[in-house]
Amino acid sequence: MAVIVLPALLAEQAGGRRRFETEASSLGQALRALPVADLLFDESGALRPLVNVYVDGEDCRELRRLETPLTGAETVRVVAAVAGG
Amino acid sequence: MWKITSGRVNVFPAVGVLVLAGTRKGLFLLRSDESRTSWSLKGPLLPGWEIYHAILDPRDGAVYACANNWVYGGTLQRSNDLGKTWQRAEGLGLPEGSELKLEKTWHVEPGRESEPGSLWLGAAPGLLFRSDDSGTSFEPNLGILEHPTRDRWQPGAGGMCCHSIQLDPADPARLYVGISAAGVFRSDDGGGSWAPANAGTAADFLPDPYPEVGQCVHKVLVHPGRPERLWQQNHCGVYRSDDRGETWERLDGNGLPSDFGFALALDQADPDVAYVVPEEGAENRVTANGRLGVYRTADAGASWELAAAGLPEPAWVAVLREGMAYDDRSVYLGTQSGSVFATAEGGWRELASSLPPVLSVEVGAWP
Repeated sequence: MAVIVLPALLAEQAGGRRRFETEASSLGQALRALPVADLLFDESGALRPLVNVYVDGEDCRELRRLETPLTGAETVRVVAAVAGG
Repeated sequence: MWKITSGRVNVFPAVGVLVLAGTRKGLFLLRSDESRTSWSLKGPLLPGWEIYHAILDPRDGAVYACANNWVYGGTLQRSNDLGKTWQRAEGLGLPEGSELKLEKTWHVEPGRESEPGSLWLGAAPGLLFRSDDSGTSFEPNLGILEHPTRDRWQPGAGGMCCHSIQLDPADPARLYVGISAAGVFRSDDGGGSWAPANAGTAADFLPDPYPEVGQCVHKVLVHPGRPERLWQQNHCGVYRSDDRGETWERLDGNGLPSDFGFALALDQADPDVAYVVPEEGAENRVTANGRLGVYRTADAGASWELAAAGLPEPAWVAVLREGMAYDDRSVYLGTQSGSVFATAEGGWRELASSLPPVLSVEVGAWP
């Protein structure tokens, strides 16, 4: 199963759990099943612009975004965008 | 013992006082017993979240916090154990197809004692929500969302925030909201429809300085014992209404160093008393005259006097729109410099210092 790793602030909002295993076949399906999906997506269903998602180290925007397929061996990391100091 | 807090009636026995200081870096709780001589500090709760406003629900002791994050958006969080654990409201947002998106949550107001579980939530951009399940889920108020004047509303410096929600304690169908920069709106049918209530309040930044809507109201409070009386700190003046917002009388220029400010507090026992914290002006948002000056009127705004004994001087600080609260014994004040003050015998006393910038202060009784 693929593994999703959340940053600390989101993990706290997920009941203290940082790692989630998923059998979802796509990145979007996997993220929308998380208990913090409402913090990752706005009410229109769009990924919030300052939420970055990396699949095995690659920015999902450089892949197929939320349609990026998951085969079950990936590590997905959610990272809040940071810039500057 | 029943206890009045910020115009709300507590329905559980109160044995102490709890000050909720929402900050840029989480929520802090200050507790004292009825003597109010020593205060304990707990926090930060919800670290990493900006707490625009937090309350202790006088009906059941639940804590609610408008918690915002620049990456993850606006939320409403509830704790039934004074901050040990939190639950986040589900599905907070606008209906599918709306052209607007929830930006930030600004103010949470408990509903009436006769409506257990009811809760009002103000948000940006110019949004009002209601919950009937103690904040688990919310529905947008369509009367505000689809208000026919919305195309004339503009965001203020803090966004188009719905920051004031006031329930008329005498009429279960009447409530008010304040939105920057849209103005004050009154509903006489429980929130079904809303009429602008801005007659006499200025919008000097618009071509028409007295429009129907578009005023930049900064804070509105209803007096709990004289509900036809409203007070307002506006971008353009301090005002009082004695007719439920039908008309407003401007009250600055008679002892206040400036007409500009944000915070506002009242006196539960005396509807002629109010407190404001004037700032230099819209282009220099710092307390006036180089001091943390709280000004008090005891004659319904006919005159104002400095009431700052015990507050630091010189000082160049800011007190935001949710930065003042009051109960039956004290007025409370939080600064962007991270201090919380309360009135006590002889003047103001600092309850906490070196907190993150304080965004909001509320007070309640804790069991």
